Amino acid sequence: MIPSQATQLQIDSAIKEYAHTRSALLAVLHLIQRERGYIAVEDESWVAARLDLPPAEVAGVVSFYTMFRTKPPGRHHIQICRTLTCQIRGCRELVKHLEKKLGIQDGGVTPDGRYSLITVECLGSCGTAPMMQVNDDYHENLTLERLDALLDSMK
Amino acid sequence: MTSQEYRPLLLKNIHRPDSTSLSAYRESGGYKALERAVKEMTPEQVLEEVKASGLRGRGGAGFPTGMKWGFLPKGPGEKYLVLNADESEPGTFKDRLLMERDPHLVLEGFLISCYAVGCTHGYIYIRGEFVDPWRILLKAVEEARAANLAGKSILGSGFDCEITIYRGAGAYICGEETALLESLEGKRGMPRLKPPFPAQVGLYGKPTSVNNVETIANVPLIVEMGSSWYAGIGRPKNTGPKLYCLSGHVRKPGVYEFPLGIPLKELIFEHAGGLLRETRPLKAVIPGGSSVPILPADKCDVLMDFDSLAAAGTMLGSAGVIVLDDSVCIVDALLNLARFYAHESCGQCTPCREGCGWYVQILERLEKGEGRSSDLDLLLDLSDRIQGNTICPLGDAVAMPVRSYVTVFRNEFQYHVDHKKCLAEPAPAPV
Amino acid sequence: MADSTPEQVTLTIDSQSVTVPAGTNLIEAARTLGIEIPHFCYHPRLSIAGNCRMCLVDIEKMPKNQIACSTKAAPGMIVRTRSDKAVKARQGVMEFLLINHPLDCPICDQAGECVLQDFSYHYGTGGSRFEGQKVHHDKNVDLGPHIVFDGERCIKCTRCIRFCDEVTHTHELGLFSRGDHTIIGTFPGKELDNAYSGCTADICPVGALTVKEFRFKQRVWFLRNTASICAGCARGCNVNLGINEERIWRITPRDNDAVNQSWICDEGRLSFQIYQQAERLGRALTSSAGGATKEMLVASGYEQAAATLGEIARKHGGATVAGITSGHATVEEQAGLKELIERAGGSRIALPVHERGDDDALLIRRDKTANTVGARLAGGANCTMEDLLTAIKIGKVRALVVLREDFLGEFGAEAMTARGALDFLMTLDWRVTATVKASDVALPLSAYGEMDGSFINFQGRIQLLRPGLTPYEESDPAWKPLLEIASRLGGAAVPKNFREAFRWAASRVPELSHLDTPALGKFGVSLESPASGQG
Repeated sequence: MIPSQATQLQIDSAIKEYAHTRSALLAVLHLIQRERGYIAVEDESWVAARLDLPPAEVAGVVSFYTMFRTKPPGRHHIQICRTLTCQIRGCRELVKHLEKKLGIQDGGVTPDGRYSLITVECLGSCGTAPMMQVNDDYHENLTLERLDALLDSMK
Repeated sequence: MTSQEYRPLLLKNIHRPDSTSLSAYRESGGYKALERAVKEMTPEQVLEEVKASGLRGRGGAGFPTGMKWGFLPKGPGEKYLVLNADESEPGTFKDRLLMERDPHLVLEGFLISCYAVGCTHGYIYIRGEFVDPWRILLKAVEEARAANLAGKSILGSGFDCEITIYRGAGAYICGEETALLESLEGKRGMPRLKPPFPAQVGLYGKPTSVNNVETIANVPLIVEMGSSWYAGIGRPKNTGPKLYCLSGHVRKPGVYEFPLGIPLKELIFEHAGGLLRETRPLKAVIPGGSSVPILPADKCDVLMDFDSLAAAGTMLGSAGVIVLDDSVCIVDALLNLARFYAHESCGQCTPCREGCGWYVQILERLEKGEGRSSDLDLLLDLSDRIQGNTICPLGDAVAMPVRSYVTVFRNEFQYHVDHKKCLAEPAPAPV
Repeated sequence: MADSTPEQVTLTIDSQSVTVPAGTNLIEAARTLGIEIPHFCYHPRLSIAGNCRMCLVDIEKMPKNQIACSTKAAPGMIVRTRSDKAVKARQGVMEFLLINHPLDCPICDQAGECVLQDFSYHYGTGGSRFEGQKVHHDKNVDLGPHIVFDGERCIKCTRCIRFCDEVTHTHELGLFSRGDHTIIGTFPGKELDNAYSGCTADICPVGALTVKEFRFKQRVWFLRNTASICAGCARGCNVNLGINEERIWRITPRDNDAVNQSWICDEGRLSFQIYQQAERLGRALTSSAGGATKEMLVASGYEQAAATLGEIARKHGGATVAGITSGHATVEEQAGLKELIERAGGSRIALPVHERGDDDALLIRRDKTANTVGARLAGGANCTMEDLLTAIKIGKVRALVVLREDFLGEFGAEAMTARGALDFLMTLDWRVTATVKASDVALPLSAYGEMDGSFINFQGRIQLLRPGLTPYEESDPAWKPLLEIASRLGGAAVPKNFREAFRWAASRVPELSHLDTPALGKFGVSLESPASGQG
C-alpha cells in the first residue's frame, strides 16, 4: 500500500528532520498508522524501501512497540490502563462493564467496527485513575457513569 | 520554612490561564535565566552552578546532574543532550504535568542545559501515548524558535541550538537511557551494553547525556537564583524542590511540590487528604514508583529524599508514591506488577526475558490458591538470579519489588498457600 | 608482521596468572589458560551482543558479575569463574534458558553437538524448578532453501541475525515482538536465501536452525570428521567431512583465518552430493568394436596406454601426444600428467576453464576449480582448449590424455569432430562421462573424500585434501596410473604413497620444492609468505 500524497509529504519532511534517516522510522510509522489506523505488511515493505532499511528491521520495530498495530482497530480504540494504581482504583470493573456493553473481549473489535477494546500497561496518569485512552485522548477519573456517557458520545 | 508556607517553584505557573503560551511564561519572568546564561555566563560557569546546587537526577537514580554532564568531553565536538520525557514508571505522572502545563519551563531548562554542555542539537524523547503534551511541546518549540529563543544565535548570543522532538511508540523500557537512544536511532528499544557509557558513545555514536524532564526544569531556577540559594532548599545532599506523585488510596491524588525530604506521612495525610476511606487503614506505600521496595504502614515514618529512603531500604526513584489501603491483596498487587514487567521486558537478555514470565506463573498460582510454601523461597531465589545479572536495570526493577513484597508480607503469601484465599478483605471498587 | 607488538596486560583468572594482548576479552584470555567460560551468544567473528549472560564472571572490586565476552582484560584484574556468585548466576541462566525450551533432545538434530545440552550438563543443576506452561512458538518454520527454524528451541542469542547483518550483509533475519514472545524470523514472504545461509545453522548453539539436507539423516555422534578442504571453487575453504558408513553426510566449515574464517558457502556445503549422484567409474575400460567399452585390469590399461602412446610417438613424433589437465586435479596428479606427456615426447597441455558467476566479497570465486594455480605451476598447462582442438583437427595432435575433464561432454560437436581425428584417447576420471565412453582406454580415479592430495588456491596457498572414505573399487589418485604409464615409457620409479608423490611433484616446482606434507598441516602454507599458517 502506498500512503496518500499528503502523508507522503509529511513523511518527506519527517525524514528531513534527521541527519540520520533511520531516526525517522518511528515518525514515519506513526504517520502511516495515522492515515490507515494500522500498519500492514505492505506498508512495512514500502517504508523499508523509502528509508533504505531491511524489511525485517522495519517489521521488527513495528512488533516491538505496543502503539503500532498490525490489524485495523475500531473507530474508537479504547485502551484501558490495567497497571497497579488503576487496578486498585477499579479498572477491572471498567473492563468488565465494557466487555459486557460492547459484547467483545479484551483485544476485540465490535462487528460494526465502531469500538475496539484493549487493556494496556501504565499510561502515566495514575493520579487520575482509573483512566483510559481513546484514540489520542486521555479520559481520566472514570466512573461507570462517565464511561457510559463517553461511549454514547462516540459515533 | 514549613511545608505549609512553601511556595511552588516548579509548578508556580501551572494554574495560570494560558500557562502554555510563551507570553504567559515570559510575563512570569520566563527565559530570563536563559538570557542570563547565554549572555552573561560561560558554559563552564553554568555547569559549575549546577554542580554546586547539588541537583540530583529526578528520573529515578538520583545521580548528581552536574557530575553527569561533567563526563561529557569538554570543548567543541559533536555531542548530544537528550531530554527523557518517556515518563512511564507506574505511579509517576509529574513530567507530563510539566510538559502539558508549563512547556516553556521545560524548554528553557533544556536550552540552558544544552548551553552548559556545549550541545547544539538537543533531542526531546517523549512517550508516544502522550499526544497532547507532544503537541503542546511542538507548539512551544515553534514559538521559542520564532522568538529567537531556540535555533540560530539564541538572543543574539552566538549560541546555536536546534531542538527536535521525537515520539516513542509504546515501550516502558525506552525510559532506560540506552534503550531510549536505540529508539531515537529508529531501532527496537533494546538497552545497550555498558561500557561504553553514553557520555562516551551515545546517540549516533557521539557523547550524550540523557536527563529527566523534572531534573531539567530545575535548571532555570538554579541559574536565576544561584546555586547557594537552591542548595538551601531541602536537605543536605538532597537539595531542591521535588514533585511527588500521589496515587492509589488517597483522597486527593495528584502532583505535589515540596522540598526534598518532606515526611511521607505528611504528604499522604496532610496534602493528599489522607486515605480514601475511613474504614480502610493504611497497609503499605510504594514510595518511588513500581520498581522500588515497598514500605509497610509501620515503616512509613520516613523523609522523602534519596538518602533517607535508601536508609529505610527503599528508594526515592521517581517519587511515584502509590498508597495502598488494607483492601489490597499484596499477592494480587505483586502479580499485577510482575505482569507489567513481563509485558515490558525487551526480551534481549536471558534472566529478565525468562524470569519475568516465571514470576508471573508462580504468582498466578499463589493468587489462585494453588501455590506451595516453597514458591515463596523460589520467588526470592529467582530475584537473586536476576538482580545484577541483566543488561539493564529492568531486571533489578522487577527483582527488587518481588523480594521486598515477599519478605515484608510473607505472612500474606503464606496465607494464600495455607487458606487458598486473601488475607486482605477486598473492598468494593471505588469507581 | 605488525609494526609494533600490542601492549600486553597481565591478569589473574581462577588464581592463574595470564598475559594477553590489551583488548583481549576475558573469554579469550581464559581460553589461553585452558579455562572454559561458557557462552552462547558470543562468537569471535561477530559483534558482541552480551545477551545470553552465560559468561557472567565475578571480578574483584566489582559489585556485580560482569559478562566475560564484553569485558576486556585489564592489568591486575582478578577474575573468578567458579566463585559462588558466578556459579549461582550461571546456574540461574541455565535454568532460565531451559524453562521455555522443549527439552526434545531425543528428536533434536543438534543433540551431541548442542552447546545448551553440554553446558546444562556441565554448569546446570541437573533439574528445573519450573513447572508452569511453556511459551509456545512456531516449529518447523521453513526459513529458506536450506534452513528450517524451530522457534521453541531458539535461545535468542542472535548469532544468526548478526551473521546476516555483519558477514553476508544481507539482513534477512530480524528479531520480532518482545519479552518472552521474542522470536527470530524473516520478513513475511522473504526467505533466508543468501549464499551462506547454512552457516547460520553452524553457529546456532542449539537446534533451532538446522540444515534441511542434513536434518534427520544421521546422529552426529556417529559421524567422524575428516579435516579437508572444499573442492568447489578456487577458494579452498577449510572443511570437515562428516563421514559414517562410507558416506559423506555433511560438510561443515573448519576455521582458517587466512582462507575462510569460519564460513563456507551453501554450494560448497552441498558439493559432496554430486559424488553420490554420479555414475562412478570403478574399473579400467577399453574400447571394443562399435565404440562400446569393456572392462579390463587396470594393469592392462597401463600396458595398453604405454604401448599405444609409444607407437604413436614413434610413428608421428612425440609432439603429437598432448594432454588435457584439470583444475579439479591435485598438484600431484597434474604433475603426473605433465610427466607422462613429456615422457612420450609431447608438451602441449590444455587447461579447460570452469567459471560461473562472479567473485563475491566474502568467499565465492567464479573459478569453480580448486587448483587452477596448480595446473599452471605444476601441471604445465600451456594452451587453451580452443588451441588444442584446432591442433587435433589439423593433425598436429594424434594422441590425447585427459585428466578429470569431460571435454566431449562440454565442447559438443566441435570436440566430437576432434575425437574423430584422434588415433588414441585415454581418459582418467572418477565418473562415467561422455569422454570416458568415447575413450580407447579409461582408468578409474578416486573421488573427493577418497584420496590425499594438495590444491593451491587462488591466493597461492597450498592445502591438503584428506580422505575419509575407501577408494571406490579399483580407483586411484591419478598420479599413480599416470606415473605407472610414464615409467613404462622410461620414466622414474612410481612413488609408493601420497607423501612420496607430493615430494616428487614438489621437487619439480621451484615454488614448492621446500615443502613436505607435514609442513602443510591442517591449514596449509602460503607460497608467498611461508609463515602464514593459522595461528
